[in-house]
Amino acid sequence: MSSDPTEASALMDCAELGRTLDAYLDGELAPPEEMEASVHLAACEACRALADGEAQLRTALRNKLKAAMGPLGGAGQAPDALRHRIHLALVQERKPFLRRVLGPVPLAAMAACAAGALVVLVSHGGTDPLVEESVRKHTRDLPLEVTAAAMGPESIAGWFAGKLDFNAAPPHFRGTDVRMVGARLSNIQDRPAAYVRYDLPRGHLGLFILDDPERRFGEVGRAVQAGPSTVRLINARGFNVAVWRRNEIVYSLVSDLDEEDLAKLVQRAQGQDR
Amino acid sequence: MFDLQKNDLTRDEFERLAMKHVDPLYSAALRLTKNERDAEDLVQDTFLRAYRFFDKFERGTNIKAWLFKILTNTFINRYRRSVKERTIVEGSERDAVHERFISREATEYAANPEQFFFDRLLSDDVLRAVDSLPIDFRMVVILADLQEFSYKEIAEILDVPVGTVMSRLYRGRRLLQKALAAYAAISGVLRGPVDGEPVDLDAFRRRQGKTA
Repeated sequence: MSSDPTEASALMDCAELGRTLDAYLDGELAPPEEMEASVHLAACEACRALADGEAQLRTALRNKLKAAMGPLGGAGQAPDALRHRIHLALVQERKPFLRRVLGPVPLAAMAACAAGALVVLVSHGGTDPLVEESVRKHTRDLPLEVTAAAMGPESIAGWFAGKLDFNAAPPHFRGTDVRMVGARLSNIQDRPAAYVRYDLPRGHLGLFILDDPERRFGEVGRAVQAGPSTVRLINARGFNVAVWRRNEIVYSLVSDLDEEDLAKLVQRAQGQDR
Repeated sequence: MFDLQKNDLTRDEFERLAMKHVDPLYSAALRLTKNERDAEDLVQDTFLRAYRFFDKFERGTNIKAWLFKILTNTFINRYRRSVKERTIVEGSERDAVHERFISREATEYAANPEQFFFDRLLSDDVLRAVDSLPIDFRMVVILADLQEFSYKEIAEILDVPVGTVMSRLYRGRRLLQKALAAYAAISGVLRGPVDGEPVDLDAFRRRQGKTA
């Protein structure tokens, strides 16, 4: 191909210019394409008139939008009350962070006294593939394969029995507002897992149950004593996750509860079926 | 106390970076939710989520685009159903009738741009015209023509391919022009001139300078 502009103009015809005009006017063409368009426009009066008209239309449109919805327009300014509200919410939001970094000592100890049994053992930073993947899968909200409404919550464990080579017995959180919704098969990394979804009056829980004889998972976060088990509490991507172990079986419970409510809930699940 | 200090610094940094964009976020939220209360809730939720994920934000990248992405996702997840918005499936991308209508009109007015009808439209009419667009088109026009994000940034914000951004933008702009023309006809501005908004050509000239 020659670089002679008269030949280059043959590279883009009027139809092609029409198709790339928006991108051209938006400054989105790559340099060689932009060059082709400019060459065509220089040579073609009809397209030039079209492009000029479009450009003016666009400028008028943008100015109009800015006047109505931009920083100077009434509908473009956040009210001061909103700024204030956001600031307060962010200050509030710091509390869980604060509790986590100040660590177990003062706040959690107070919480433990109040709850009667929560005793912080150790705090351990870092992320855990189990936690990361639990949160990710839970938030994808994949369809359930069976529902508790159709088969009864007591039958869910039986449904898993034929499909997993370990005993995936989901807790029922008796005496709470937690209601089992249903279940599906899932996996965490290369491990098959049971996934059980629960509803709360506000929000959901997602529980993953998997077999982990090598103890690969669940060693991060803040450990608290809940009933007979050690439960780890981790905040990941805005969710509070509780991880606990019963022999070789690991449970990972993803929730939108705050840390304290989650710990209480887990404690209740521990106490009941032993 | 180092950690405590660090947390205060993190929040300060977040507020310093993010609060600058509260106006454009609120403006977009208002056009999405169409009412002030929901728009405020949506913006607050956006800030809270952004703050929670702030450790995932890569310093030095475009925080405004990142905040708009969170805004859009939060809206889709939480509000879309409640305001009964529905995505209109895109029809034929190149509507020949529109194309002819716009082209003829554009060339007609090109010689005399200050006569261009929507220069004299009231802001309320503009807002109503924007609100009349199906939501996917509305969003893409706001992101491109008001917030001046690039195609690539819009593609990332909306999590769609660049080609989809382009076709939605094409259709969205034309639907908006049509809606504006309808409001102009209704309020009679097509007939008699009144004082228009001042026209700022700087953005246009910068762009021209870049493309010339």
